[in-house]
Amino acid sequence: MSDFYLVFKNMTRKPLRLFLTCFAIFIAFLIFGAVTSLKSALNSSVELSADNRLVVFNRINFTQSLPIAYVQKVAAVEGVKHVTHLNWFGGYFQEPSRQVVSMAVDPESYLKVYEEIVIPEEQKQAWFNNRQGALVGEKLAQIYGWKVGDRIPLSSNIFSHKDGGYTWEFVISGIFKGDTEQYDTRQLLFHYKYFMETQTFGGDWIGWMALTTDDPAINENVAKTIDDNFANSQNETDTSTEKAFNKAFIEQIGNIGLIIFSVVFTAFFTILVVVGNTMALAIRERTGEIAVLKTLGFSSTRIFRMVLSESLLIAFVGGLSGLAAAWLLVEGVKTFLARFLPNLILDGDIALQAILFMLLLGLITGLMPAFQALRLNIVTAFNRQQ
Amino acid sequence: MGSLIAQIVSVTLMNLGSLRRRLWMSLAMVFASAVVVAILLAFLAMAKGFEATMSGAGSSQIAILMREGSASEINSVILQDQVNLIAESAGVARDTNSPLVSPELYVIVDGLKKSTGTEANIPLRGLNETGMAMRNNMRMVEGRMFTPGTNEMIVGEGVLREFNGFEIGKEVRFGKNLWTVVGVFSTGGNIFESELWADIKIIQSHYNRGNSYQSIRLQLENNGDLKPIQETIKREPRLNLEAQTEQEYFASQGKQLQYIATFGWIISSVMALGALAGALNTMYTSVADRAREIATLRALGFSNFSAFCGTIAEAMVLAVAGGLLGSLAAYLFFDGLNTSTLGGSFTQVVFSFEMSPDLFVQGAVLALVIGFISGFFPAWRAARMPVVVAFRHAT
Repeated sequence: MSDFYLVFKNMTRKPLRLFLTCFAIFIAFLIFGAVTSLKSALNSSVELSADNRLVVFNRINFTQSLPIAYVQKVAAVEGVKHVTHLNWFGGYFQEPSRQVVSMAVDPESYLKVYEEIVIPEEQKQAWFNNRQGALVGEKLAQIYGWKVGDRIPLSSNIFSHKDGGYTWEFVISGIFKGDTEQYDTRQLLFHYKYFMETQTFGGDWIGWMALTTDDPAINENVAKTIDDNFANSQNETDTSTEKAFNKAFIEQIGNIGLIIFSVVFTAFFTILVVVGNTMALAIRERTGEIAVLKTLGFSSTRIFRMVLSESLLIAFVGGLSGLAAAWLLVEGVKTFLARFLPNLILDGDIALQAILFMLLLGLITGLMPAFQALRLNIVTAFNRQQ
Repeated sequence: MGSLIAQIVSVTLMNLGSLRRRLWMSLAMVFASAVVVAILLAFLAMAKGFEATMSGAGSSQIAILMREGSASEINSVILQDQVNLIAESAGVARDTNSPLVSPELYVIVDGLKKSTGTEANIPLRGLNETGMAMRNNMRMVEGRMFTPGTNEMIVGEGVLREFNGFEIGKEVRFGKNLWTVVGVFSTGGNIFESELWADIKIIQSHYNRGNSYQSIRLQLENNGDLKPIQETIKREPRLNLEAQTEQEYFASQGKQLQYIATFGWIISSVMALGALAGALNTMYTSVADRAREIATLRALGFSNFSAFCGTIAEAMVLAVAGGLLGSLAAYLFFDGLNTSTLGGSFTQVVFSFEMSPDLFVQGAVLALVIGFISGFFPAWRAARMPVVVAFRHAT
């Protein structure tokens, strides 16, 4: 009779209890997996930002624009490798609810600053040469079924077209990918020049600038030089690293995220405490049997091992199935939520964290009763039975 | 009948009396239901507070007009001649000399959040005296109104709560312009309290907006009747506007936090399932623990039903205790908690969590349901187990 057989028999002696315990653990880890994925999706823009990339906004707020003349001045600052400028277009496709992240950019410099963008050489040249051309991210193209060569209308909820209306027509010159799986490719990029010539107002203004520095170590210096250059001008600037900017933006969503996550995690741990208690009790109930095993000559370490493997087994059966369910859930809603949360993914880090918690649950719930069993005096145990 | 009740009472009392023996198991049950109730209440309180902030702003007396296709004020552009055309439209209420129309414009500025010390977007709204007068529930709490034509502004109470540096008398610098805070206003806790207000002409000139606006607010002649205005828009090709009542506008702006409330319901329901499994375990163990007691009672002539009721009562008492604990925790931690988040127009909406009495009722109902379900099945088992078997199995 192997030890495993005994462990198995012990575990399944009360199937209902086993089921309920596993189910509670299952739920706890299902929620843990799903909510942690959500959280890391929210933070992913911070993780993915390049170290040597800075953004320059109007000091008043990032929604205010800057004069285009600033671009040349910034390019002249020492330590600036490449600089480009962007305008938020506020685009949507056919219906105002189908928003498209779209920006008017200067093509050559944009691709130099955003090196993550991967695109076939001939598509790149085609884009450079076609003023009406647009570069579309892979995921965005998938959503609307766009192909290279398609003519698409895109409306703006901010700007109006010189010819009347709010709709611009673009030709898709290329479809780009990111150099990593998580790079958000739900974007559309088009020529700033085309935009300038065809809009009714806002000429010669840019939304913001993005630049790369020669070395992340000089970021701070470069940022300071730029801001000093424009101090006391009509449009003061605020330069920060892309990472800091993204972080500040996420913080705007605010304490709400923090509150939700802390509430959910408190709940997660309380459920673990509650189940852990049941599991520990289930073993303590068997003190008498353990005494019998000891009498029969089972060594203390062997019993210790058996008890511990039982609680670990329960923790992992419940936990891993919960984690698997969370993975299925995340995969299931991924496409549905892709518009809001592009980087929703249950990755290795989260899984590892979950597995650590399962291990902890199994160890804590097993160790205490196992120690008690280990130190158990057979005579007292038999006495206690009646 | 009387004896049945007496039986139930004595069994219940006996069960409750023996709770101490199963202290840890009972505590587990209390904890489990406390957590579920607390989570649910936290989410509901958040949704409630946000809803109060959004819906309090909307009046069906007021119409808001924006450029068609723009989902929120920040994206919209309206020109002066469009304002003039609308002002002449039928369906707009007038006072003695002029139509009640308020063209408004806002820019987004940065404020330092008290809680995190980081910058966040606040709207600086420019409006005229008519616009101010049209907000019926607006009143000055402190200080005075800004003087038109000067760099003076008044701040909403919400801004004062969540952000640093907007106290009366303080000077605030946005870009090159220095503003003086001269007053604090309240609009009864709604979304406008998250804004800064100043003179429209000054904002237009400081921010190079020419004679453009973002939205037009106007008082309707007949409550909720947008028809005459919509007809004017249809007839006049220069008016590429969309009209909706303020109520509709804020209802649609409030949608996103409604999703959070739904998310909260889903999470707490799923958590409730997990906690229920824990609670059921507790009660099954509790019944197993007392199998001999129950068998003895039944051998003595107590009915199955009283044994059944006794167990259910025990479960319900524990769950309700947990529910109370959970509500208390939610109340202590969340009631009146000030917070802010990014709203529909890219700006901060300041609101407080609100634990209203009906939320407590919902929490109590949830606790009772958990108690009932987790008591029912074990009680059923206890009541049906043949006495002989119970004696044999009890250890």
